[in-house]
Amino acid sequence: MWRALLRRGGRGGGRRGLSGGGPPSAAPWSQVVSEAEKIVGYPTSFMSLRCLLSDELSNIAMQVRKLVGTKHPLLDTARGFVYDSRNNLQMRGLVVLLISKAAGPSTAELSFQHNMVSGIYSSQRSLAEITELIHTAFLVHRGIVNIGELKSCDGPLKDMQFGNKMAVLSGDFLLANACTSLAQLQNTKVVELISSAIGDLVQGIYYENSRSSENCLTDDIRISTWKEQVFLSHSALLAKSCQAAMELAKHSTEIQDMAFRYGKHMSMSHKLHSDLQPFVKESSSDTMAFSLNCAPAVLHQEFLGRDAWIKQIREAQGKGNLMDYKKVSKSHLNLLFFLILYVIFSRLLLTVETSLFKPLYACIHGEKKREWLVLLLDLKSH
Amino acid sequence: MCHFPQRSSVWSFPKLCSISWRFYHTSTAHKCSCSKTVSDEKYQDPFQLGRKDLKNLYEDIKKELLVSTAELREMCEYYFDGKGKAFRPMIVVLMARACNIHHSNSREVQASQRSVAIIAEMIHTASLVHDDVIDDANSRRGKMTVNQIWGERKAVLAGDFILSAASLALARIGNTTIISVLTQVIEDLVRGEFLQLGSKENENERFAHYLEKTFKKTASLIANSCKAVSILGCPDPKVHEIAYQYGKNVGIAFQLIDDVLDFTSSADHLGKPAAADLKLGLATGPVLFACRQFPEMNAMIMRRFSKPGDVERARKYVLQSDGVQQTTYLAQRYCHEATREISKLRPSPEREALIQLTEMVLMRDK
Repeated sequence: MWRALLRRGGRGGGRRGLSGGGPPSAAPWSQVVSEAEKIVGYPTSFMSLRCLLSDELSNIAMQVRKLVGTKHPLLDTARGFVYDSRNNLQMRGLVVLLISKAAGPSTAELSFQHNMVSGIYSSQRSLAEITELIHTAFLVHRGIVNIGELKSCDGPLKDMQFGNKMAVLSGDFLLANACTSLAQLQNTKVVELISSAIGDLVQGIYYENSRSSENCLTDDIRISTWKEQVFLSHSALLAKSCQAAMELAKHSTEIQDMAFRYGKHMSMSHKLHSDLQPFVKESSSDTMAFSLNCAPAVLHQEFLGRDAWIKQIREAQGKGNLMDYKKVSKSHLNLLFFLILYVIFSRLLLTVETSLFKPLYACIHGEKKREWLVLLLDLKSH
Repeated sequence: MCHFPQRSSVWSFPKLCSISWRFYHTSTAHKCSCSKTVSDEKYQDPFQLGRKDLKNLYEDIKKELLVSTAELREMCEYYFDGKGKAFRPMIVVLMARACNIHHSNSREVQASQRSVAIIAEMIHTASLVHDDVIDDANSRRGKMTVNQIWGERKAVLAGDFILSAASLALARIGNTTIISVLTQVIEDLVRGEFLQLGSKENENERFAHYLEKTFKKTASLIANSCKAVSILGCPDPKVHEIAYQYGKNVGIAFQLIDDVLDFTSSADHLGKPAAADLKLGLATGPVLFACRQFPEMNAMIMRRFSKPGDVERARKYVLQSDGVQQTTYLAQRYCHEATREISKLRPSPEREALIQLTEMVLMRDK
């Protein structure tokens, strides 16, 4: 089963050179995801939406309808749940399940293997759901607006206050559900891990917030700081959940550490990949917006020096054409693209037991990236 | 124009009382022969007794809130300045001692019990921070709210952080039962907020709904923290139940008086704006009682006092009616029940202090 997945991922790709080459004939993303879901024996889409069936959230859903036509961000978040399945909102849960199954039962606790369904303990399934709940809760809490900063173009104050109220309540509801399910796991170490992950997530989002609220366009940070901050906001949750999944199966500390590192690198690479999208998409639409604090921009700033970078930005601003921002850094980006991937994955490959995680790499989305990974893996095994 | 309680309505007070008793008590309502158990202990000021244990409470809470970003830390520590009433930790610590004495004659508060007090205060504060965002409140405890100073986005994050820190401290106690008991509080707090969102059309349901909301939003925290420390101090499930019932009854009484003060006290004294509940569209105890005497309030309740002038009119009706007195009387009944429960424990200065505390709940003015 593992081999089939890997073969499918590698078959079309083969040994492409660094120049990229033609379009790969590897399996599309949605197919990979549904293969993965079959492996874990559980449809993971809408995992956290199950609690949306509760009275409380049905109540909220009715109320959120009043927000249609307003500019409150909660509407976008809600829309994202229902329509945006390609945005892999449920990815974390899926990864936790896969890693649980990949690791299997520990040799220490043979007695409690009967609790497994499709090779995964019910506690691990619960943990996967908890991870999604927490992630979703913070997606919702990120969508709060500052009442004091509203302008008349944002619409009536009443709508924004109402939207805030709904966002706080629904986020809190999801978090409370997560806490209750955590308590039911009856494992204090797991509660500790996940609670600290929530703390990390808050700090990470706090950094995100600080950036967007300041007047300067971009932070004066180096890529190492960027990595620390992004770890908190995008990685800590998955990393610690993977570790916790191992703890639930009573695996050794070594396995737990491996799982942590896997989760961390997986989510970091995902963030990098999405930061890269505006730059590497060969499609005609050159109009994808990007943040000036995304990884390529931060690295570019580090190479160029902050003053020169700010100068470039102001030039582009002066021309009034936002697209020039991209032209500014695009020339460096092929280099950056491979540099980033190489750094991350070579470190990952050195530390991780590849036979255990190879099939999971195949699930990392983005055809180009997957090809590159397969290449790296092949290179390593030779 | 006075409507006396003898009016034949399903809403007559004795029936009301029995509805509320039935809702919350498994024991049959009985004539309150609550003679306070006389003991040889002198009058004990609860705050004096608990003072030593709580002396470093806020410092210890701050230690749990270690976070690298200065501003986030400042926000989280904002309400832990020592100026709050520390009412909840006080009860927890006294209950811990009372249970310890009951079980083994030891007056020492265990470290884990002290943690429960800290965790309870943190959970409470986290919910306050979020409530202020939800209610768009400007002031609390005589100073500006977190959302007023730093904005709503950061305020919500601060609340989440405090909650995560509380959860972390809870996990570190290392007892899965305690984790379950206190996590129940987090769930109840959120459900209580939701209950507040909805409203009941039926007059009869309204009061039960109000009491349920009061339990979830206020009493659950006190009841469950009392239960948690009793579990840590004593293995007897009867004692756990006593602690829980004490906490629940005191908690409900506390909130009822809070609702009364919203009508009777002035803004300066309270530290927060008065008639706040009405302005939020909430119909609390005094309003629900007043509604029996002034049925024209029904329409106002249904539209949540949204029309201009509703708040003022409602306030006048309440002050003209016996709403305040009835609510206070109900609070007294809950306090008596709390006293009855706690009296089942072995005598101790802490037990007396807890009884004294119920009196203080009734007599507070802010």
